[in-house]
Amino acid sequence: MAATVATAVTPTEPEPDRCVSEEESRGAEAEEESTQQQTGPAATVSHSRLSKLPLARIKALMKTDPDVSLASQESVFIIAKATELFIEMIAKDSLVYAQQGKRKTLQRKDLDNAIEAIDEFAFLEGTLD
Amino acid sequence: MAERPEDLNLPNAVITRIIKEALPDGVNVSKEARRAISQAASVFVLYATSCANNFAMKAKRKTLNAADVLAAMEEMEFERFLEPLREALEVYKKGQKGKKEVSEQKRKDKEKKTDSENDKSREEEEEEEEEEERMEEEPEAENDGEEEEVEN
Repeated sequence: MAATVATAVTPTEPEPDRCVSEEESRGAEAEEESTQQQTGPAATVSHSRLSKLPLARIKALMKTDPDVSLASQESVFIIAKATELFIEMIAKDSLVYAQQGKRKTLQRKDLDNAIEAIDEFAFLEGTLD
Repeated sequence: MAERPEDLNLPNAVITRIIKEALPDGVNVSKEARRAISQAASVFVLYATSCANNFAMKAKRKTLNAADVLAAMEEMEFERFLEPLREALEVYKKGQKGKKEVSEQKRKDKEKKTDSENDKSREEEEEEEEEEERMEEEPEAENDGEEEEVEN
């Protein structure tokens, strides 16, 4: 763990995103996240500046695929970033339906409508509870 | 420590933040919608991974790389992501390079301090640091010299 402590090259910035996400996942993966806390914010800043989603979690998800053996750090990062863009996209596209219904609150049915209407979301059909 | 796909979600707080920043002020998101988006995001990761892995396998590689993921995005019809992803990747690579130089420098410093007496422990640390460079910067549970291989 010595290597991670030494990464003080990256400037320390306030990272509310990081803090919040660590609070959230502390219950779920206390082991992983608490070690990060100990090594200090500097070690994790450069990642969270670029990607809001925790790379370790993304990688764990990727590895549930039995056909996947190894994944480069870069590939994990890009998938994390792409997922972020995906979330933004689906939120915005769903909002259209909420607005059509003259609502200011996004609801599950708006998601469903977007998934049905938009080609890129076809892969989601039948996958959500 | 095998995790089932169902056990792994992305942190709710982060998902919420990403959604809020994407939507205009004054818009709310119901809990059900948020949960659905979180699930969708997990499905997206799995789908993208599978797609990218196909490209890697076609090229007879065992390691998924960045190019595979970008190719997958195109395949999945998310071309709009390509530009921002490439830009983010550049920044990320620069950051990684800086870190690598720092940890190599630190290793050199260590070599100066600890001499023949600590030869063995130094070797172990070197291996460990190399492992960390290849793996995530964030320490994970599987830090016992195991690579990113899936045990199946």
